[in-house]
Amino acid sequence: MSTAGHALGLRGITRRYGNFTAVEDVSLSVGSGEFLTLLGPSGSGKTTILMCIAGFVAPSEGAILLDGRDITGLPPERRNFGMVFQGYALFPHMTVAENVAFPLRVRKLGAAEREAKVRAALDLVQLTRFADRRPAQLSGGQQQRVALARALVFDPSLLLLDEPLSALDKKLRAELQEELKALHRRVGRTFVNVTHDQEEALSLSDRVAILNHGRLVQEGPPAALYERPRTRFVADFLGKSNFLQGTVRQAAQGRFSITIGNTQLVQALPAGAAEPAVGALALLSLRPEKIGLLDDTASADNVVKGRIVTWSYAGAGYTVTVHTADLGSLQVTLPTWRAPIAPAEGLPLRLGWSADASVPVEEDAA
Amino acid sequence: MGGAHRPGPFATGLAWAVALYLLLPISIIIPVSLTDQRFLSLPVEALSLRHYGTVVSSPEWLDAIWQSFWIAVASTLLAVVAGTLCAIGCWRISRRSTDLVRALMLLPLIIPSIVYAVGLYRYFAKLDLLDRFLGVTLAHGVTGIPYVVITVSTALAAFDPRLEQAARSMGAGLAQTLRWVILPRIMPGIVSGAIFAFIHSWDELVIVLFIASRDVFTLPRRIWNGINENLDPAMAAVAVLLVIFTVLLLLLDQLLRKRRP
Repeated sequence: MSTAGHALGLRGITRRYGNFTAVEDVSLSVGSGEFLTLLGPSGSGKTTILMCIAGFVAPSEGAILLDGRDITGLPPERRNFGMVFQGYALFPHMTVAENVAFPLRVRKLGAAEREAKVRAALDLVQLTRFADRRPAQLSGGQQQRVALARALVFDPSLLLLDEPLSALDKKLRAELQEELKALHRRVGRTFVNVTHDQEEALSLSDRVAILNHGRLVQEGPPAALYERPRTRFVADFLGKSNFLQGTVRQAAQGRFSITIGNTQLVQALPAGAAEPAVGALALLSLRPEKIGLLDDTASADNVVKGRIVTWSYAGAGYTVTVHTADLGSLQVTLPTWRAPIAPAEGLPLRLGWSADASVPVEEDAA
Repeated sequence: MGGAHRPGPFATGLAWAVALYLLLPISIIIPVSLTDQRFLSLPVEALSLRHYGTVVSSPEWLDAIWQSFWIAVASTLLAVVAGTLCAIGCWRISRRSTDLVRALMLLPLIIPSIVYAVGLYRYFAKLDLLDRFLGVTLAHGVTGIPYVVITVSTALAAFDPRLEQAARSMGAGLAQTLRWVILPRIMPGIVSGAIFAFIHSWDELVIVLFIASRDVFTLPRRIWNGINENLDPAMAAVAVLLVIFTVLLLLLDQLLRKRRP
């Protein structure tokens, strides 16, 4: 399993069902050996795109390219893509070893070669001991690993994963996330993953493509998406965010200021962003963890006063909702370890953040 | 079942009455088959197995049993292959038109068999299939299809379509997917259908009365003639053997269903 991964390209993929457009004009390219995640809420078209790549759904328009070769018309059984299905779709009437051997049996490999490959694949996912069990006798995490072994054993050009971790409980999911990541590094293949879990997308992927209503909203490395969301939807879907909307007053020297009621906020202009026109409306996304607590003497680019409306303890941090006169409610996360304050309803606070803590985002197209 | 309401005395009594009503006509032939008399009657002085002896040693009865058996085997084969393919085809295509096909396939069950038999008689006369092994096999096979379509469709309804997708994603073509994934999963349904199709042919009389006369003489036909012509108690012995055989087949079906995960 050392051959390099392959590159996948989607060119203007559209899929309609009657009057309903499930996927609209999605173009993406996945580099060789890359781990790409299609992320979106349910109904965003992410699974339809994966099914188009797998060949189970024919796109109404557009083309799918593998290493530059058009494979749009190729049936799934001739694409040579490994796939891990939601719920795993292991064959219940076969043992673990027979399940993993299935793609090799289909390819009419000799018994000796087949056995060696099955053993290597089961080694890869540390399931050699369970070779003779039936899927029903395995835990969810083990079944998931069998599905991975089965999808990788025939040296597929691409590995497709359809919500591979969604059936597992939280702790196991975190464990298998690590394993999946390590596996990707070991086999060096191109992975395309589908999930609605933003944490999973951020921690697993080299690149994330965010979809909404069948359209590609933004794509890029996880950190770039989190730090520089393009639209309100991306900022909201990927982590939590406060949104501040105001009128642009001034723009100069890589900064601009907006007013919301009687409050003036300063915003740093991100690299490459165009200066907004004075008088236009601007929307800022501000992550709860980037808001700091200020004592009476400290200062920051932006300072607002407010009172705690509600708060909750979440182990590593407090989630606090602060009511402010002009900005409405602000979500703030404060560390619990050596917390500077003991949160209480009605407690007055001074909040502050720097001009580059928030980012300007676009309102989503309707 | 521990938390369920227990049935009252009226419901229990009614259930037993229905069960007895169904069972009595079948059970009456058991003492009759053991009669010591030379005509169809209840035993008078002692129980006797002489009529079973007659059946086993009579070439006429044995011939009828073997004819029925081979016709049942051949027509079951026909019904299973056609019914399974039909059910799988309808399941894979799964459109409104396939619902219609499935409904059409049940017609032999719905139409009175005497009507069906009259129709067969007219066609088979033209095709020179009257009183032929092939003719009876075809008739029984076709009328056995509904049982297979029903049981296989039921099995397919419980089949996870993602298993088929999984097989295809691993490179399996239609034939391989069918052989290694779909058929093993729906095998209990196929076997159930086969058992029902077999029993259907094994005790079918009406069609046989129309399309067979001298060369093809099945067991039910022989019993029918026996009742009409001479009240030979050997008939009752045959009937008991028939019932035992059928019950064994049904028990086999139950056993196979239990083994299904």
